[in-house]
Amino acid sequence: MFRGSVYSGVEDDLKSLFNIVVSRGYRVIGPKLVDSVIRLERLHDFNEIPYGYEDKQAPGYYRVVNNGGRFRHGPDSPKRFLYPPELLLFIIRPNLSIEYPRFEFAKTALFGIKPCDLAAINVMDGVQGELGDEYYQKVRENLLLIVENCVEPGGTCFCATMGTGPFAFKGFDIAYTRIGNGAVIFQPGSDLGVDILSELGLRPAEDEQVDRLRSLMMEASKKARAEFTLENLPETLEMGLDSEVYRKIAEKCLGCANCNMVCPTCFCFDVLDEPELDGSAKRVRIWDGCHSYSYAQVAGGHFRKSLYARYRHWVLHKFVYWLRQFGTFGCVGCGRCITWCPAGIDLRQVVRDVVREVETRCRR
Amino acid sequence: MQEIVRTRMAPGRAEIVKIIPETPDTKTFYFKVHEGLVEAPKPGQFTEIYVPGVGEAPVSICGLEGNGILVQTVRSVGALTDYLFKMHEGDLIGIRGPYGKGWPTEKLTGRDVLIVAGGIGLAPLRGIILEVEKNRGKYGKLTILYGARTPSLLLYRYEFDRYREIPNTEFLLTVDHPDETWRDHVGVVTELIPMAKINVEKTIALVCGPEIMMRFTVKALEQIGFKENQIYLSLERRMKCGIGLCGHCQVGPYFVCRHGPVFPYWLIKKYFWVDEI
Repeated sequence: MFRGSVYSGVEDDLKSLFNIVVSRGYRVIGPKLVDSVIRLERLHDFNEIPYGYEDKQAPGYYRVVNNGGRFRHGPDSPKRFLYPPELLLFIIRPNLSIEYPRFEFAKTALFGIKPCDLAAINVMDGVQGELGDEYYQKVRENLLLIVENCVEPGGTCFCATMGTGPFAFKGFDIAYTRIGNGAVIFQPGSDLGVDILSELGLRPAEDEQVDRLRSLMMEASKKARAEFTLENLPETLEMGLDSEVYRKIAEKCLGCANCNMVCPTCFCFDVLDEPELDGSAKRVRIWDGCHSYSYAQVAGGHFRKSLYARYRHWVLHKFVYWLRQFGTFGCVGCGRCITWCPAGIDLRQVVRDVVREVETRCRR
Repeated sequence: MQEIVRTRMAPGRAEIVKIIPETPDTKTFYFKVHEGLVEAPKPGQFTEIYVPGVGEAPVSICGLEGNGILVQTVRSVGALTDYLFKMHEGDLIGIRGPYGKGWPTEKLTGRDVLIVAGGIGLAPLRGIILEVEKNRGKYGKLTILYGARTPSLLLYRYEFDRYREIPNTEFLLTVDHPDETWRDHVGVVTELIPMAKINVEKTIALVCGPEIMMRFTVKALEQIGFKENQIYLSLERRMKCGIGLCGHCQVGPYFVCRHGPVFPYWLIKKYFWVDEI
């Protein structure tokens, strides 16, 4: 068995894979139906994975139905585990002595995450590699990444535009694709992946299976697209700093920062003091979002008081600034910000509209 | 197995050794820093000051005395600074830093130095004035143009005579609203620029003040021939973490805490004129 090659199995092999991973001492985190939402949760049994359920996603719309279809990704992303919503940084005593917290870093398998989320981990690696968050590094070192390729992208997906999916090409330990009729194609992406998959007794994939995989990939890629391309995108967006599109969006946007919270790469945080009765204080890191009113507020002033400016900052950070800061786009095209926007604002349309406005202006 | 996770955001200890009231809402604190500094502070950098149970705030460095005493001028405008104003000499605070890029002292060698400051904007520039005083031979002419809304809002008034005594120094003051004792100029700080004797080609301009004041200053400086690489600006943003992690202080692609707070004008020109960028 070799890295990068394709092997053929059946859906029961997924269950065996799950059990092998558990027997190797991994804590498994994967998709699980919780309160009508597919979350990423600790799994104890393969059957907890809601195969056969479909998540219907559209701007501001999410429903899970039991119709024998396929599900994509819910509001959770791997960020929740690598960069928790709330993390104790230290406890500081009244005499200002510091007590650092202890954490358990267990070997953890992310089972069945989607290529966009794999790409998001890659993006976060770029951010945290640059910025060096110790907690992140320790969780990251212990991750086993098992990716399910997307045969049917959802209604808000645009990974093919961002070049992050719907199939994974690198950075995973194991990738698998359910190609239909109970057949599954497995690809080891690391030595560890080879080692684990070799326990399954898979056969090299038949030529027609490889062809089927290819055509599924092509079909899926066509679906997961936005109406813009990456060509000259940062430059074009920067020419549209004053675009009217942002002001129009601000009339709809609630400034709730839901998009920041569900985004698999948004990394901004705030640090709060939680005072204790003995005069100590816990310093706690929590997620923050650039859409929230207080984000760019300073004592005695406000640098982004207008909602349009906060929305614009978010778009520019994802598609312009991130490249200069960390060498990748900050967006992986997962579409969570679209699905979970209570106002149903579609980022794909926003970017498309700004690009069109700039292009129209240039043609004049 | 459990592992200890350390963050770079834990403060060290400092003691308040002296407090000088500056203006109705500003005080200068002298901190004896016991631990928490990651390098020797430079003018224009900042630290994060912490009070347990209250929080943290970024404050610019205004000077460094002997014996590791850090001078920092604070305006009371938020929870942390309000609390700090109630503290006394001998009290302990948390401190970490210094962070960011300070004024380009290495580029000032052999050049004339023009300081344009508005209000509390003089605070991060005080260190440059003291540096020129200390190593007078290293720099050319020092010009200080300083304005505030009223005379009572001028910082470091008790030091002004000392600034004037620095050889080869021109020190011009202005206020928007004078009182009966005011003898200097009345008007905005940019009006002082044509009044000063500035050898443009030899000069590096260091500017700090409210954003609107900096915009007018850049325009006025360009008008008399300053090039983009001769102007440095110190920006204010919400530098929560100080180390380029938390995202709050971004101006365009730059983290003000890491790539600034002092920027050469050419670097941020594209964003500097865009409102609420």
